[in-house]
Amino acid sequence: MDTPLAVQCEGICKRYPHFRLQDVDLAFEQGTVMGLVGPNGAGKSTILRIVMGLVGPDSGRVEVLGHSMPADQIAAKYQIGFVAEDMRLYESETIAFHMEFMRSIFDSWDDDYAATLLRRLDLLEGQKVKGLSHGQRVKAILLLALAHRPNLLVFDEPTTGLDPAVRKEVLDEMVNALEDETRSILFSSHNTLDVEQISDYITFIYGGRIVESRDKETFLDGWRRLRLTNPNNARLPELPNIRDVRQSGSLCAVTVNDYDDAIPGEFVEAGLSLDEIEPLTLEEIFLANVQHAKRVAGEGAVS
Amino acid sequence: MTRAIVPQLVRKDLLIWRRLILIFYGVSFACIAAVGALYGRIPDRVLVNLGFTLLVTPVGTLGIVLLMQTNVFEKAKSTQPFIMSLPVTVREFTLAKLLVNVPVFGVLWLVTAGAALWFAFGLDLLPLGTLPMMTMVFLGVLVAYVCILGVSLLSQSLGITILAITFFEIGTSAYLWVIVFLDPIRSSLYGPVAVWNSTAIVILTTQAFAAVAATVATLVIQNGKRDFV
Repeated sequence: MDTPLAVQCEGICKRYPHFRLQDVDLAFEQGTVMGLVGPNGAGKSTILRIVMGLVGPDSGRVEVLGHSMPADQIAAKYQIGFVAEDMRLYESETIAFHMEFMRSIFDSWDDDYAATLLRRLDLLEGQKVKGLSHGQRVKAILLLALAHRPNLLVFDEPTTGLDPAVRKEVLDEMVNALEDETRSILFSSHNTLDVEQISDYITFIYGGRIVESRDKETFLDGWRRLRLTNPNNARLPELPNIRDVRQSGSLCAVTVNDYDDAIPGEFVEAGLSLDEIEPLTLEEIFLANVQHAKRVAGEGAVS
Repeated sequence: MTRAIVPQLVRKDLLIWRRLILIFYGVSFACIAAVGALYGRIPDRVLVNLGFTLLVTPVGTLGIVLLMQTNVFEKAKSTQPFIMSLPVTVREFTLAKLLVNVPVFGVLWLVTAGAALWFAFGLDLLPLGTLPMMTMVFLGVLVAYVCILGVSLLSQSLGITILAITFFEIGTSAYLWVIVFLDPIRSSLYGPVAVWNSTAIVILTTQAFAAVAATVATLVIQNGKRDFV
């Protein structure tokens, strides 16, 4: 039997005065982690807000844990924990006040787990939110999102602005949350290292469109950098999967997507000699994708 | 299993703003006591003017400060995404905000209006003929408040809410000035008995209807919103 889907978006469109989310299809199974990567303004937060039912799409269909959004958002939100970088708690109140408030809403609130999280995240119940640092505030929100034991965690840039130690704590708790194998995470981040570390699936978004969405291994495996020597300044083969070309004298570095073993042969046939084939980190893929998407968008605008 | 969320949201706001609410209630009661204490010590005409200012200012200020804190700053201070990430619909969120603001303002408004009427007629500071007009004044304050509350909830914008406060304050004063010059109202204004003629009844009914309509319209318009953060 197929694993049920945690999130399923089909043909989501959302138009704002200066931004358009276009035909977003996104799906991942329960028990897996989907990482959304993309530059600022790509549409990551909009997608997460649509998934949360906070923003209604102009068209398309969204289902979260089998519940249609935003129509059935109440049933869905009982099973979702949401953490967003721009989310704030009530400054004049303590962490205990917020825990009590969450307890009054969620029957599933787990006092023991909340106490464990307080300890692990170095937080004190009596601390007023006003006096918390940015990192402590993110950890407090994370605690509130986790302690009612949701089936789906939605994180919008959870590690933005955190120092490395706090970032690790937050990521560790995200990973710990996955000990329950039915729990899923959908998260966005600029930090490709975070995404690479914990995601099962990666979706790259640019300009309101999904450029690529695959499982992490296929995603990373699809990209290669070919280091070539081009002594005679030969013309490079025109392959549709070339994403970036850097030339320095006779040395040439070509970044390709949808890599297959026949690609190096094309360059050799064109008169270049192959020195090395390198895998790319997600950071490098991110940059190559952004540059390529910008170039395509620029060419589209010119034509 | 799900729980009724509106009472939890109301309780949360009342707990957060309890000190502010208590302070304004305390100031209001102190002002009522002050007006009572000034009776017989200053000329009646001065007491009427001073008393009206002393009684209306705390209740009006509480209404505005509370709606700013609970509605406008909920968005400005980004606590709204936290609340809306919980199992809450826009309708429930709006209903909870109305159930915090309207009763907190409404109770103090009733107490203040009752005290004002008692001072005015119990102590013979004003002729009984002004009773319909005073009722219109206090209902006018309520209508203006409910309209400003609606605007603050629908816009959640500081600028638009301040504009609404200015508009409804000036508008209410202008509207009351127009009413006071209507013949059926003016002719009995300084008489020894309260005259509840058809004009007075129509005006009072319209005011009461406007307060209810503004509240319902806020709920309906808000419920139609698709984007809420």
